[in-house]
Amino acid sequence: MLEFDGLLLNIYNSLSLWFESLGVPLIWLDLLVMVFAGAVILGVIAVSVLFLVWWERKVSAHIQDRLGPMRTGKHGVLQTLADGIKLLQKEDIVPRVADKKVYFWAPVVCFVTAYMAYIVIPFGKGLIARDLNIGIFYIVAITSFTIISLLMAGWASNNKYALLGGMRSAAQIVSYEVPLTLAVIGAVMLAGSLSMVDIVKAQGPYFWRWYWLPQILGFGIYFVAATAEANRTPFDLPEAEQELVAGFNVEYSGMKFAMFFLAEFANMFTVSAIATTLFLGGWQPPLPGLSFIPSWIWFFGKTLFLVFVIMWFRWTYPRLRVDQLMGFAWKFLLPLAFANLFLTGLGVYFFG
Amino acid sequence: MESATYGKKLREEEFLINMGPQHPSTHGVLRLVLKMEGEFIRELTPHVGYLHRSIEKIAENRTYNQFMPFTDRIDYCASMPSNLAFAVAVEKLAEMEVPERAEYLRVIMVELNRIASHLIWLGTMSLDLGAVTPFLYAFREREWILDLFEMTCGQRLTYHYIRVGGVSRDIPPEFEKSCRAFIKSFRKKVDDYEAILTENPIFLSRTKGIGILPLDLAKDLGASGPTIRGSNYEWDIRKVEPYSVYNKFDFKIPTGKNGDVWDRYMVRIEEFRQSCNIVEQALDGLPESDTIRAKMKAVFRPPAGEVFSRIEAPRGEMGYYIVSAGDKKPYRVKIRTASYNNLQCLGPISIGLKIADLVAIFGSLDVILPEVDR
Amino acid sequence: MGIATATIKGFWNLILGLFTTGKYLPRKSVTLQYPDERWNMPERSRGVVVLLSDPQTGELNCNACQVCMKQCPVHAINVDQIKDPETKKRYPGNFTIDNTICCFCGICEEVCNFDAIKLTGKYEFSVFNKEELIYNKEKLQELGRDVKYTPRKKKKASDEDEKTEKKEAKPAEEKSETKTAGEKTESNPEEKDS
Repeated sequence: MLEFDGLLLNIYNSLSLWFESLGVPLIWLDLLVMVFAGAVILGVIAVSVLFLVWWERKVSAHIQDRLGPMRTGKHGVLQTLADGIKLLQKEDIVPRVADKKVYFWAPVVCFVTAYMAYIVIPFGKGLIARDLNIGIFYIVAITSFTIISLLMAGWASNNKYALLGGMRSAAQIVSYEVPLTLAVIGAVMLAGSLSMVDIVKAQGPYFWRWYWLPQILGFGIYFVAATAEANRTPFDLPEAEQELVAGFNVEYSGMKFAMFFLAEFANMFTVSAIATTLFLGGWQPPLPGLSFIPSWIWFFGKTLFLVFVIMWFRWTYPRLRVDQLMGFAWKFLLPLAFANLFLTGLGVYFFG
Repeated sequence: MESATYGKKLREEEFLINMGPQHPSTHGVLRLVLKMEGEFIRELTPHVGYLHRSIEKIAENRTYNQFMPFTDRIDYCASMPSNLAFAVAVEKLAEMEVPERAEYLRVIMVELNRIASHLIWLGTMSLDLGAVTPFLYAFREREWILDLFEMTCGQRLTYHYIRVGGVSRDIPPEFEKSCRAFIKSFRKKVDDYEAILTENPIFLSRTKGIGILPLDLAKDLGASGPTIRGSNYEWDIRKVEPYSVYNKFDFKIPTGKNGDVWDRYMVRIEEFRQSCNIVEQALDGLPESDTIRAKMKAVFRPPAGEVFSRIEAPRGEMGYYIVSAGDKKPYRVKIRTASYNNLQCLGPISIGLKIADLVAIFGSLDVILPEVDR
Repeated sequence: MGIATATIKGFWNLILGLFTTGKYLPRKSVTLQYPDERWNMPERSRGVVVLLSDPQTGELNCNACQVCMKQCPVHAINVDQIKDPETKKRYPGNFTIDNTICCFCGICEEVCNFDAIKLTGKYEFSVFNKEELIYNKEKLQELGRDVKYTPRKKKKASDEDEKTEKKEAKPAEEKSETKTAGEKTESNPEEKDS
């Protein structure tokens, strides 16, 4: 059925034959494929964010006994599009005392980092833009860039609330990077590879073999740390509305604000996708008999379930305070992550 | 306004930050000038008066009955107690007998309004702490109370229901059934709020031991209502100085232990249940009668003299001091509102804490700005 | 050991919170889709003020006694009294209600002795221009056309005791000059509302 794996390979092979027959060097084909992949990823981000924003509104609404957007399109599916168009029309206000260049580049950096992380996510069997052999390492490296953009935004706005938000986000993301990476290492140790595709393949098509069971602690740590990385409640201190108004993006308006917004949801999707890849068997069906459903549907299903859980957190829990947040990362998650690493090492040594 | 914060040189690491008048968690238009050192508050100066409408002066130019709609606007989250406070004061001045059915209706309405007002507090405080959902749950339940009020007096916010000498209208026939159904369902809803917040570790870490209000400080500053009850002091005008028919009902006064944010939260949560008890008892004992308002002369002129009377509004003591010159208009009206005094507690107890704690403390004091400024 | 139990308890309470919010997820929401769905305003709703007309003759019940004007706490009502020289009937020459300052307290309805003014359940009256919120006599009468009300006379017929009481009261009221009628505030609210 709708499996892209063989299809894409066939297209590539026939294209390369065609290029050879024309006498064009294959590097041009690779470049073409890269541009095409980039465009497709952009489309995936746009569509997924459009969907996620709508979904978040619907989830929050129904949790709160409301209906949410209902007017634009059936059950408001086009609401996000309408909001996007509205944001496009908005005046782009730059504060007089802002650091203009940094102010301009902050949302760009924020979005580009969110975008780059998508390159190594295996959306389905063979559906990956670039299967790097250090895939997970690449993701950890790239997602750390988000701090810089938030700090840039906070500093360049020349606003005290924004500065506080920027500082908070820097402290938070740096701290949660550590337990997050340690939790990832657990899964990498089991798989014996850093490549995303290999990690998925190592987990096999039986759901009890997936790493969420041996790595249940690691999965928990990863999920909590990832929620913090994506700046979601209960860790949404950088933009804590009731304290810092809107935190680092308080001065942003129009499309620049939309880019921060886009990046936030793209990040949420990324961390859920990585959790799916590392702990929930990626695009593999839970049982081999269920493989008639395309792999990418399994991947998106699992990812969206995790996204839903993150949303569920947001609409249930209050927000932590900044020192408690740091204490939680360093005093609770980090020792737990080390313990998980130690146990995993023992397990790999004795049973692996 | 003279302020300790201005005019002094700031130390290198300090900065001034203006919280409000437009800020999501200042519940209206309070302006707080904070001297911060990073996330820590070193100095706090509240600026009030952005909502001043000179209601006390207006009272001097209105007859007693005409002034009643204005009392709605003093504390718009709890208009019934505001009405009642003025009515009780005028009745004391004129030594008027109020029909018993009217007294029972007053108690039902005021206690329902206490629940509604505390629901707003619950919603906004949980919102200040970052939990959005209890806010909408609280407003969902409040909607039912407002429907009950609208059924009775025709308005949802500014009721103008309790009048001098009684109440304006009798309850409609379907009121009692709906009210009992509400109380029954509301008890379960309070358990839901508690499940989401009370024992939640994040909520506990945000509220336990934060913003401890010592009892002597609370007394010095004239705090009242749940704010002082949270500091382990059993002070409730309904018990201490019973007005209306409160001495006929059986209810407890919940108190906290340490006076921190969590204690004030628990006091109000418990008051939900106590108010439910009172409403049920009042519905059970509602006497049948046709008169719901004392006979008054066409032109109401209370005798010359002065009077102070107070009631327990949801936010604490609300008192009216009325000077009458025997005219149809009061000579002077002074309104003592709980929020003004409770707001004074904010400064001393939040120095040295973080800006996030300030928001939590402010939410727990349940200050409403129109009541502060009047 | 304390830490372990505290952690487990905290974890359990986090789960409990999730269940509580999750419980409402599949439930029917309480939202009303406003312009499509509408709620029934209760009979006592205090919304836009209208002037009532006699259902038979179609004339205004108001005889411009100016009680409402004098009792309005925010001075939102303005009435001119005109006396017909032939029939000796009084009627309002100009009757304006300024909805920008009206506080919908309902005092005008309560003090009116002639079923002339009423607060209705109408609440949609937003306009683009602030001046359009000042309603004149024609507009108020137009708004009050379809408003149902129980005229005081009928009520009296049903109740024998009140009938005699009112009969005595009524001529006195009609005889009284506007000045005294203006002072007659809150005459018998129980009778009106029962």
